[in-house]
Amino acid sequence: MKKLKAELKFNNKRVAEPIISTIVLKEQATINILKARVDETGGKVLVEIPDDKAENVIKAFRDSGVEVKLEILAEITENCIHCGHCVTLCPVEAIIYDKKSLSVKMIGEKCIQCGRCVDACPTKAIKIWR
Amino acid sequence: MELEEKLGLKQLRTIEEINKKIERGDVVVLTAEEMKELIKTKGVKTAAKEVDVVTTGTFGAMCSSGAFLNFGHSDPPIKMERITINGVEAYHGGAAVDCYIGATKMDPNRPFEYGGGHVIEDLVSGKEVEVEAIGYGTDCYPRKYIKTEVTIHDLNQAILCNPRNCYQRYNAATNSRNEVIYTYMGKLLPNYGNISYAGAGCLNPLMNDPDYETIGIGTRIFLGGGIGYVIGEGTQHDPKNGFGTLMVKGDLKQMSPEFLKGASFTKYGTTLYVGIGIPIPILNEGLAKKTGITDEEIETNLLDYGVPKRERPILKRVKYSELKSGKIELNGKEIPAASLSSLKKAREITYILKEWIEKGKFFLTMPVERLPRDTIFKPMKMTREATLAKHIMEEAVTCKIYENIKDVAKKIVEKEVNHIVIVDEENKIVGLITSFDITKAVAENAKTLSEIMVKQVITASPDESIYSCARKLEKHKISALPVIDKNGKVLGMVTSEKISALIGKGEKIEGGIKI
Repeated sequence: MKKLKAELKFNNKRVAEPIISTIVLKEQATINILKARVDETGGKVLVEIPDDKAENVIKAFRDSGVEVKLEILAEITENCIHCGHCVTLCPVEAIIYDKKSLSVKMIGEKCIQCGRCVDACPTKAIKIWR
Repeated sequence: MELEEKLGLKQLRTIEEINKKIERGDVVVLTAEEMKELIKTKGVKTAAKEVDVVTTGTFGAMCSSGAFLNFGHSDPPIKMERITINGVEAYHGGAAVDCYIGATKMDPNRPFEYGGGHVIEDLVSGKEVEVEAIGYGTDCYPRKYIKTEVTIHDLNQAILCNPRNCYQRYNAATNSRNEVIYTYMGKLLPNYGNISYAGAGCLNPLMNDPDYETIGIGTRIFLGGGIGYVIGEGTQHDPKNGFGTLMVKGDLKQMSPEFLKGASFTKYGTTLYVGIGIPIPILNEGLAKKTGITDEEIETNLLDYGVPKRERPILKRVKYSELKSGKIELNGKEIPAASLSSLKKAREITYILKEWIEKGKFFLTMPVERLPRDTIFKPMKMTREATLAKHIMEEAVTCKIYENIKDVAKKIVEKEVNHIVIVDEENKIVGLITSFDITKAVAENAKTLSEIMVKQVITASPDESIYSCARKLEKHKISALPVIDKNGKVLGMVTSEKISALIGKGEKIEGGIKI
């Protein structure tokens, strides 16, 4: 089954609550936790949600006050000069070069976070969610 | 007169006439892309008649860039002898408070991350930079040390002055080695995994005026988002091979971080991306025709950057149109290709310059002197030849894959070596065994050589310099390199002991900076 990747952001007050478990049980969704990090600013968890449950699960998280961001596995920041060097390094075509607008675009959900592009970027404009 | 017309040399308009049109606001300016389109649809004759100016542009990493800065005098004054800006050393060989900050100089505390290019971008962005300097102290300049924070507005002059910019075209790069290499052409994947190229192709200024009829000393240009001037040919200007370069200058205070961007190439170093736009006045039909040049007509060499020598092997001649298509065929395989320069920014520059001219903010100049068209770019005169692998290699002790481990162990002891090269019947390399592998074999009770041998052997070619050998040894944390010919036949062995012995005798290999 296809799965949707999402970044969940918990604010500082909620990091201790079992929000994910509650939603897993309630929605009967096999949510896969790929990465998790807690620091001074709160918690960030990267999850995979089965496609057929995605809509309800995302709504449930949002209803519980969790910020949900989709397609955020990697981002290209404003520092990008659109040279396109990263495009040739990406093994999964998560970064594409649009020949019409001469621009580099990232398809965040395709990214497998291998990191090949990160150190190669001349302006260090690629951020990978780790 | 007729011949002149035939050759397209008949003057259609002068710079003065174009400038009058700019003043009146009825000048016809097209970007290089628009001009090519017009020529394609309406032909050169019509384009030449209709168009006054064609704007060209490029935005790429230009290492030979930097800025002259003047800080004004402190009280008590100092004659700066050594100076750093945000930790990056600036060259000081002039008067007391002048210096030149170069794009590739790196902060030793964060090498390959932050350098002169970033200092220039920070200055242009209006950010505060930390200036630290020491001096000897003299009767007129008693101060020996100063530390202060300044912005570009506090400086008397900040003049971008780049000795080599705007390459007419550049080589494309790929990598034959079986490892990733980090170069000034970016990150090159193993086994021809990708191709990178530089330059804007048919948008490039010099490509649109290849005989330098209108570009020369005194040509007013778009530089880094502000106005600059061509002040001569750039260093390594190589017009005969179509690799012309420009030396340019401009007031840094008028420029913008949009078009001057500090950059770092991992494990290579820092640099500055510079945006340059040059207007080509269409003085005659010949010039109109030249601005019609397409990427199809611009060729360059695809070089193997995996070979660490001055003369890198040419793998193929490629057109910019092929490079821009994103795929190049090499040895029957399709390899992804991408630019290191920004074509998007190059295009943007052509439009900005067009707008400046149309709005009467930018007037054209005729060069005071044309760029040389017959100079050549020579290699360095070397009075001491580099030592090569073939000069220092020793006899390689070899064995066959079927030999038993005990016999190989005996060979190691008898020949007093640490490495045995495993070869086939034709003496071609198959693998490598070290004395440690033998120890491991005993510990793990291995039965055959193939279980314990190193299969991906790092090797050297006979003509490889010892600098390159030393780099391989260091990079892979190994102590010997089998030297093999093109067919894989083993010729000898270069060991770290031998290289160390050479260093002991005064051969400078390292001489460099340890990180």
